[in-house]
Amino acid sequence: MAGDVLVLAEHFGGSLGDITFELLGMGKTLAGEFGGTCTVALIGGSDAMAEELGGADLVLRLGGEELADFNPEPYGEALLAAIEAKAPRVVLIGYTSMGMDLASTLAVKTGRNLASSCIRVEGGERITTTSQLYGGKMDVRSDLGTAPCILSVLAGSAPADAGRHDGAPTVENLDLPATAGRVRFKRFIEPEAGDVDITAQDILVAIGRGIGSKDDIEVAEELAEALDAAVAATRPIVDAGWLPKTRQVGKSGLKVKPKVYLALGVSGAPEHLEGMKGAATIIAVNTDKNAPIFNVAHYGLVEDLFEVCEELTEALEDR
Amino acid sequence: MDMTVLLKRVPDLVEDLEVDDSGKALDEDSVSLKLNEFDDHALEEALLLKEGGGGTVTVIALDGEDVDKMLYTALAKGADRALKVMGGDPDGGNQALAGIFVAALDGHGGDLILTGVQAADDRDGQLAPRVGALLGRPCIEVVTEVNPGDGKVTVHKELAGGVVAEYEVDLPAVLGIQAARQTPRYAPVSRVRQIQESATIDTVTSAATEGAGFTVVAMTPPETGEGAQMLDGVDELVKVLDAKGVI
Amino acid sequence: MLSSAERVAFILLVLVCSALAFKGFARMVKIVRRGRAAQRSDNLICRFAEAFIDIALQRPIFKARPVASFFHALIFFGFSFYVLVNVNDLLEAFVDGWSTIGGGPIASLFNLASDLLSMAVLVGMVFFLIRRFVVKPKVLTFNPSVKLHPAVAAGGLRKDSLIVGIFILMHVGSRWLGTALHLAENGHSDPWLPTASAASHLFAGLSPAALDTGVHVCWWLAMGLIVLFLPYFPRSKHLHLMVAPVNLALDRRSPRGLMDAVSDVASPGAKTLTDLPWPQLLDSYACIMCNRCQEACPAHTSGTPLSPAALEINKRYTLTDHAAELASGASAPNLLDAATSVDAVWSCTTCYACVRVCPVGNEPMMDLLNIRRDLMMDGAAPDELAEVLRSLDEKGNSFGDSPRKRARWSKPLDFKIKNANKEPCEFLWYVGDFASYNPDCQEVSRTVARILTAAGIDFGILYEKERSAGNDVRRTGEEGLFESLAEQNAAALEACEFERIFTTDPHTFNALKNEYGPYGERYQSIEHYSTLLLELLENGSLKVGKRLGGRATYHDPCYLGRYNGGFDAPRRVIEACGVELLEMPRNRENSFCCGAGGGRIWMKDHDDMTERPSENRIREALELGAIDSFVVACPKDLTMYRDAVKTSGNEGKIVVKDIADFVAEAMELG
Repeated sequence: MAGDVLVLAEHFGGSLGDITFELLGMGKTLAGEFGGTCTVALIGGSDAMAEELGGADLVLRLGGEELADFNPEPYGEALLAAIEAKAPRVVLIGYTSMGMDLASTLAVKTGRNLASSCIRVEGGERITTTSQLYGGKMDVRSDLGTAPCILSVLAGSAPADAGRHDGAPTVENLDLPATAGRVRFKRFIEPEAGDVDITAQDILVAIGRGIGSKDDIEVAEELAEALDAAVAATRPIVDAGWLPKTRQVGKSGLKVKPKVYLALGVSGAPEHLEGMKGAATIIAVNTDKNAPIFNVAHYGLVEDLFEVCEELTEALEDR
Repeated sequence: MDMTVLLKRVPDLVEDLEVDDSGKALDEDSVSLKLNEFDDHALEEALLLKEGGGGTVTVIALDGEDVDKMLYTALAKGADRALKVMGGDPDGGNQALAGIFVAALDGHGGDLILTGVQAADDRDGQLAPRVGALLGRPCIEVVTEVNPGDGKVTVHKELAGGVVAEYEVDLPAVLGIQAARQTPRYAPVSRVRQIQESATIDTVTSAATEGAGFTVVAMTPPETGEGAQMLDGVDELVKVLDAKGVI
Repeated sequence: MLSSAERVAFILLVLVCSALAFKGFARMVKIVRRGRAAQRSDNLICRFAEAFIDIALQRPIFKARPVASFFHALIFFGFSFYVLVNVNDLLEAFVDGWSTIGGGPIASLFNLASDLLSMAVLVGMVFFLIRRFVVKPKVLTFNPSVKLHPAVAAGGLRKDSLIVGIFILMHVGSRWLGTALHLAENGHSDPWLPTASAASHLFAGLSPAALDTGVHVCWWLAMGLIVLFLPYFPRSKHLHLMVAPVNLALDRRSPRGLMDAVSDVASPGAKTLTDLPWPQLLDSYACIMCNRCQEACPAHTSGTPLSPAALEINKRYTLTDHAAELASGASAPNLLDAATSVDAVWSCTTCYACVRVCPVGNEPMMDLLNIRRDLMMDGAAPDELAEVLRSLDEKGNSFGDSPRKRARWSKPLDFKIKNANKEPCEFLWYVGDFASYNPDCQEVSRTVARILTAAGIDFGILYEKERSAGNDVRRTGEEGLFESLAEQNAAALEACEFERIFTTDPHTFNALKNEYGPYGERYQSIEHYSTLLLELLENGSLKVGKRLGGRATYHDPCYLGRYNGGFDAPRRVIEACGVELLEMPRNRENSFCCGAGGGRIWMKDHDDMTERPSENRIREALELGAIDSFVVACPKDLTMYRDAVKTSGNEGKIVVKDIADFVAEAMELG
């Protein structure tokens, strides 16, 4: 069944995010299966961004400088206009902070079905998606049938390289619809500079909920010291105020690509995996042998993390 | 400011979730439901707003086992009113749930509706933006702080990389809360039991709403791919670290 | 002896001072009565008789500090006898010609006693003054972060101690000196007054007039001073000599492990001083400020802001500050403003050592538990504790883990443990949280299961129906959650058929034995596995073929030992395995808590903590020298001490084992 694909470009601080290229790569494959085209909707983007989108059949530009900073209201209206203009069979939106504001709203406004947390999309006669739900413990396959739909896709579900293409894309401009102005962007608040830049570390000792209490962070810190590494954490650890925000890895934290990522008591929720899947070697320590972290880890150890921390610290100090 | 907090129960992820015989759903015997932790944060943020600037907090949830306890707990924490929707399908997905909640709130819900940014079983989008769109109100997801103003709220929305964007949003609005300003408070069981004696939970019958227009065809634990190579003890871990040249 | 003018002056002094003192005591009674109700008036005669005997034998004070207690006993016996001496001296003063000197045998014996006991008091008092003002032992000081009443912080205790000390020296010393002068006056010594006679020679050269004046001055210094001191009594630590006996007579007679029921559901705890039950207000008046409770307290010893002594002292000073208003019904200060700090409240391990050691029957720990109940009702639990309580409420365990995984520890066994919910069993084993979920403790649980199976015992467990028994939940002040857990457990147990019930967890043991009364009779018969193992060893069901040898020390878990008297069985089990048992200095009733009780195991260490109680204990054990094993009979202890051995850098020097490990080794179970 024929159809086109519309991909929402995401940008921040003047450059396109990886998710844009991941979705573009995915969108192109889908469009290929449909025998249709893949369009990127670039809202509030720049010429430079448009030039990076050579992989798209068409770059649909909505607004410019004035929308450089994300605002769910005008972005939503703009994307709605793009959908109405292009009537794509599939709209791909990142399951990101920005995308979360838009996908569900558009689903209601367009009456389209929406599958979220997608990690795989199969096109063809019917569209089938796989969503990663229940904290990464279940893959749910859904049949979205032949109706047009919106899919929100987890970051890191497809290689970004597939979406990167040089070449001058065809650009089409679309007028921005008027908005009610009920949401006003005020400013960005950058995280306070941390003592450690976890994105620049070769080794990270990451701790998750398995750590239990704040005191226990000490053992992880001792291990990190012995490894000449830094301590990173999952969201709950940071939310509890045990470590600063600058140590958070994941969807709302930082993306890290160290040589070794030692995940201690990290269950492996998709939001966290998003931030560390790119590590060269992932070693997971968890008492729960079914923890999803073991699915992405290269090495696993089913043991109590304190014991491992202490033994490992000792072993390293003995060397 | 009058606020409504939408509460949803989700499978507790500490359980070893299993798939039932149909291969399309969780085995109920493996599931125990608990309040979505993000919803708990939404409730906390609402209570903080109420304590800071006055107003009321209404909590609403679909009926189900132990839902009364959840609602009484919310009342014990400081919510003013609890509303239970009878007869809705708890497995109907967020599209249906948003419709049910909006109908139960008579298309209103006060100045501000808050709920969790997401839930572990969100397969058809998120509740907050769906409710926002149905009511025609602005919605912001991934909110970590709400400050009240005159006819508006100023919110912090977390973007990637720890960057926070600040927005001013006209009321009425809908917010998907990622984290409250403080850890959700604890409601002592003694107080919950007392509230149970004195307070009542209002009930309303669910409206018929349209659910997700697509079906689950299979549910499986994630493919492990190659999976992790399991190590036996710290000694082997040291060998791996050694081999990677990091020690 | 006294002149008429002196007699009139003395009588006037007595009237004025008694009136003032009466006012002070009357206020005190009114203030104590403002406390909440408590049942202490049963068997009053019996209570006072027992207290009398205990005090006469100085039993309460000899629970600790033998040297200081000895000197206290000197003062105590001397002072007790001085009641007679004072009566005699009044008679001498007011009845012309009354004298014991040169009297019959009774008078002579009286003289001998008064002479020697005067010396005893003086020696005792000098000891205490030197101790407090020269030696200045560390036990009399508080950790820097302990909250103190401003007057206490400004040295109020030293001042009070000095006043009391000087009063006693003056009172007894003057009386003794008066006797010596009297002897000198009469120009003879009396063999029944050996020390006074010896001193009388010093005054041989004085004129009769001077001697007579001296006798009168001494009489006034001895008797006038005691009367003058009467109004100061209610403000002074010396009050203990009147209130302590009453406090001891009216002490708690319920089991140590049973917390008072909540009397007011709407406000279950204590926010202000007068929210405390009245005996706990009386406590503060009985307090002699000796800091023995603080010395026994694992929280204070580890450097945290909790001092049970400071709590009582602050209460006392606050009540004294506000005595007039409080006696006339004014609202009392908040405990957290006046008596102690939030950090101190949450630092308590509920080990009962402070209550056990107190020589005057005080219960500072109960105050802390009352404050916890109040904080908890306001939802003001520390975050990490709140998270655990939430887990206990939702999942029935403190680990945040699935209740379905509760019996997973038993999976590696090559036999299946009976499901007591489904089939009858002779023994029902209440496993408890730590033994079910903590990996180290799970290993011990499996060992126990193997031992029982090898002994042919028919036993079962509750599987996922078991919840935390709630012992420590109750001690965090979360009364409602305790009730909820107890109800669920009782319902599960009610549906099972079993003859005997035992547990591997002392905390569970205490809860079922002492606190499950309202939920059913039969839980009171719960046994600790140490008793069961001993029984099986003694009746031959367990065959220990191998004598293990080696030397071990044993740590008494608070909730088995001090709370419930379970001291002997674990020791006998260890010895039955052929292991030599060495006692640490602090053992049995004096055992030192591991630091985990009362919910502490769920909370983070206080920032001021200098040495964890568990590390302190390991140090104590290592000081015994040449021991191989540190033996426990409590799952929490196992984890606490295994950690402590590591964190104190003593790995390899000592092995932490459960008593069951010895039994299994001695039975040569694979």
